[in-house]
Amino acid sequence: MRGYEQRGGGLMADSNSKGRLVEWFRLWRSPLRKFLSSRGAVPAADLDDVAQEVFLRLMRYDRTELIEHPQAYLFKMATNVAAEWAIRGRYVKSREPEWLAEIASKERVEDEAGQVELQDEIECALKTLTPRQREVMKLQFYEGLGRHEIADRLATTERSVKRVLMKGYAKLRLELRPELLKEVSHGRE
Amino acid sequence: MDANDRRERIAEEAAEWWVTLQGEVTRVEREQFIDWLRESGLHVAEMLRIAQVHGALKQFERWSKISTDGSGGDEDVVVPLPNSETPPKPTPDIPKRTPRLLTLALAAALVLVAVGLSVNYWLSLRGTVIETARGERRDVSLADGSTVQVDPQSRLRVKYEPERRLVVLDRGRALFHVAKNKERPFLVTADGTTVRAVGTAFGVEKRDRGVVVTVSEGRVAVGPTPSVSVPAVATSPEASAVRKEGSADVPAVTARRAAGSSKRSPEVLLDAGEQVTVAEGGGVEPVRAVDSGRALAWADGRLVFENDSVEHVVEEFNRYNRIQLEVRDAELVKRPISGTFSAADPESFVAFLQTVVAVNVRQDDAGNTVIEPAR
Repeated sequence: MRGYEQRGGGLMADSNSKGRLVEWFRLWRSPLRKFLSSRGAVPAADLDDVAQEVFLRLMRYDRTELIEHPQAYLFKMATNVAAEWAIRGRYVKSREPEWLAEIASKERVEDEAGQVELQDEIECALKTLTPRQREVMKLQFYEGLGRHEIADRLATTERSVKRVLMKGYAKLRLELRPELLKEVSHGRE
Repeated sequence: MDANDRRERIAEEAAEWWVTLQGEVTRVEREQFIDWLRESGLHVAEMLRIAQVHGALKQFERWSKISTDGSGGDEDVVVPLPNSETPPKPTPDIPKRTPRLLTLALAAALVLVAVGLSVNYWLSLRGTVIETARGERRDVSLADGSTVQVDPQSRLRVKYEPERRLVVLDRGRALFHVAKNKERPFLVTADGTTVRAVGTAFGVEKRDRGVVVTVSEGRVAVGPTPSVSVPAVATSPEASAVRKEGSADVPAVTARRAAGSSKRSPEVLLDAGEQVTVAEGGGVEPVRAVDSGRALAWADGRLVFENDSVEHVVEEFNRYNRIQLEVRDAELVKRPISGTFSAADPESFVAFLQTVVAVNVRQDDAGNTVIEPAR
């Protein structure tokens, strides 16, 4: 009579590897990576439109199914829409032929200057964060610590670490210029 | 609120979701996330942007150049956490988000309605939340193989740490089957009481009159939550078995507090077939022997009554079912009843009532069952 639930990436996660940044990717690493890669790339100017299309698709989908893997669905849909629109040439606002060609072909010319500009931009944006926010981000991205480990290292609570991360992400989103975020999508996988 | 402010607020919400989704999320949280995404294309857009920010940070190569000087400590007002299993309740340091922020008093039902980011979302940031509504029972598997059978209208939070496994029972009751792990004790906290187990099956109920712990297998230790030491007081033997909500049934502990109360945290050891109630004031009633199968039948969705009033029985059924029963017969409600019923089958109970006394049974407009005296 007993049913067992929560196997969809909830409480059944492996508790031993808790804390490692890589761990949480397990369930939606692939869709997210594809979305961030050139193949899933969405030009900044079109992101709102793509998002609107994804929104409509989410509404049409069966809610119970979406709930099983929400992030996976979100990024897969975004990638699909981007791909469909690229093929159908629905991107009106972007610089066209060379950009589309870049999307279509699997090999990309490494845009050295673009990469440096991106790094500059991120460095600049990071400076607008508070020292605490920078510290937590650094521990997460540079040292690859999980939230629990960050909390231990900084002698604070996980809840506090989450809040710092939240504020940091929100600030960066507002600071980083959208066109350069597009560059991210074009960058290395 | 103008477009920019709105965008900023949504960016913050998206960042919140991003950080939350990095950890282990419950089904409820996933539901809330989907519902949030489906509120507006703007939500979707901001979520995608936050993902891109994350991508950017991953590609950033100059972390070693980034200075973190000046990071002296937490910048928000932080409620200091004592080293206990009971996290503090949300305090004013949580910034007021939107006009839709609901108070803590509005509980389980709203989780399932998921109106934007409710207060429950905040609470869920501290450990994984399992919450049930009226009529909803859940069986949950935990990462270590332990299982929890959760009664309706209950709420608990699970936090697994390397050294121990923590559960906080905020409301209601649950039956735990704990996977054996000596190095990692399993602790359940309800109010100021903590139950410690190693490899065992036991139920914890949070009631108005206190916390009731019943052991089915193995052995547990029941005591006050560490760092809060309360003297144990022996109360009178007529520890009532009536479970009336909100009644003044709590034994008058204060009048009997032992002189020279000790600071040592007293622990009561419970074996299989034993039950103890810890009253609100911390007083521990004497351990009593019970038929644990019957005392914990609720976990399997069975309700066992022994000379309980019809009123009480109906109350219990109503917790387990969406369709409510109502008895409009002053005499009948007081009648004592004994028996075992399936919680999911109130019709059998109604049929049983009809054999006891002549009544009329009908559905009202809301679909609920009304039982009235036969004319």
